Amino acid sequence: MDRRPYRGIARLFATAASAWVLLSAFGPAAAHGGSLGAAARESVTVPTWLFLLTGGAAVGASFLLASFVTDRRLIDALHGWRRSIPALRSPLVGSVVRMLGVLGLAGIVAIGYLGPSAGLGNLAVLVVWVGWWAGYTATAYLLGASWRGINPWRTIARWLPTFDRDLPAVGAWPSVVGLLALIWIEVVSPLADAPALLATVIVGYSAVTLVGAVVFGSETWFERVDPVSRVFHYYGHVAPVASASTATETDRELLADGRLPVRGPGVGLTRPDLVSDSSEVAFVIALLWATTYDGFVATPAWRSLARPLVEGGFPAHLLYPLVLAIGFVLFLSVYRFAARYARTTGETYLSAGVLARRFAPPLLAIAAGYHLAHYLGYFLSLAPVLLTVLGSPLSPPMSVPVFALPGWFGGVPIASVLAGHLLAIWIAHATAFELFPGRLQAIRSQYPFIAVMVLYTMTSLWIVTQPSIKPPFL
Amino acid sequence: MPADRLDTTAFDVPADAEPLRCPDCGRPFTSEELLGLHQGYDHPDALDDAETAAFEEAYEAESDRLNVFRLKALLALIVLYFVLLMTYAVV
Repeated sequence: MDRRPYRGIARLFATAASAWVLLSAFGPAAAHGGSLGAAARESVTVPTWLFLLTGGAAVGASFLLASFVTDRRLIDALHGWRRSIPALRSPLVGSVVRMLGVLGLAGIVAIGYLGPSAGLGNLAVLVVWVGWWAGYTATAYLLGASWRGINPWRTIARWLPTFDRDLPAVGAWPSVVGLLALIWIEVVSPLADAPALLATVIVGYSAVTLVGAVVFGSETWFERVDPVSRVFHYYGHVAPVASASTATETDRELLADGRLPVRGPGVGLTRPDLVSDSSEVAFVIALLWATTYDGFVATPAWRSLARPLVEGGFPAHLLYPLVLAIGFVLFLSVYRFAARYARTTGETYLSAGVLARRFAPPLLAIAAGYHLAHYLGYFLSLAPVLLTVLGSPLSPPMSVPVFALPGWFGGVPIASVLAGHLLAIWIAHATAFELFPGRLQAIRSQYPFIAVMVLYTMTSLWIVTQPSIKPPFL
Repeated sequence: MPADRLDTTAFDVPADAEPLRCPDCGRPFTSEELLGLHQGYDHPDALDDAETAAFEEAYEAESDRLNVFRLKALLALIVLYFVLLMTYAVV
């Protein structure tokens, strides 16, 4: 889920494979989950301020370009475009996939404890970080959501009894806290270097998840509380292939005919009920903040900021979660302020809460863009290692093949980041035209959100240009 | 723009404001022009002749201002492009 696994693996890698040089040329460190980072970290030959200015200007310019599209029929036609592919609706396939999920989980935990102790040679580490978090997550926003069908904990919960207690009216806040907690664990512990520790974290997560599913019921738990399911649910709306859980109104008609709808990327994000209350807005912001935080704690700027505090006696292990919480509240406040201000620029009586909800989904496209920027190269270069170790999980070969990425691949992360932003701007534009009767009003309502996006891009790019260090004082 | 089922919690009208309300769905608006546009888009079948004329007028007036906006946006794009170009040339 982040910079650490990558860094850990990369370090092991340096001793194991000669392709290291190529890999490190591509990205000195990797980043984390939601993610900013590593793969995009390259040497920049222009001054940092100019690089940031250009990034911000690119986002602003895309907004200006999008503002030329004011024809509602055109927007509706683009978003109403659908193709369909045959759906595989055999109960047998579903059962096989669910069984594979459960066996995979059991295998990961077993190999985590029993397999080799080196990160790169351990199948559990490779499957979790390379196979699942880098590769599988990318399929969630590039192809379609499938976690609901594979999720091993959901399958196990089906076998368990349930008390079906009512979940208190806490909205999505438990999943916000859960997401931030997972990010914190991932940043402060060496999950990619210590397979046994990874297995322990998975066992802990399983215990919490299964107890929750038993007490509150499987549906309630995985729909509302489980942060991992929520991440995949949101990412699935960026994807072209819709499933029952990521379908818009138009998609439902096709699904009813027994076919899988294919739509333009990001069209699922225009669903009015995707983000349905302020706690879900908070989750989307937490997902974005997580990627920034993960990158930020590995910059020298963070080290110099934290040093006086740590030397002054402030415990480092408290400092990390504290900054995680403060940064999240700051990000959320800025976004909420933008939503309130949009009432003025958009001349509307729509409440700030509604505006915050409707303009939050485009941010998921940005998060997906950053994830791809980070993990595509990571996944491609380490996939051969994963396949090799898969053949003999308990006694992996001494040397493992690594895919050396061609030089032009360095441009792919930047292109992914840009594509995520362009998609976000377009979806925000379409949403504004759905909310407001006036065309000029729809454009003006977006000003505060575009300002937030520009700010966010520049922050992210700044982190990308910083040298990456190991998170200090841990 | 949900036409028939207006969710009043979605709106936050300040106590001292006097919103114009859509006669069909009750949605509040800040100006007559926006109300006219809303009626034209969301309740096209419920319009009488005067309201249809009001919609068309509001649409035309908005188009004029939109053209001015587009010119400004184009200008902003050009300025942005050249400022960046010059900056790259100097730095």
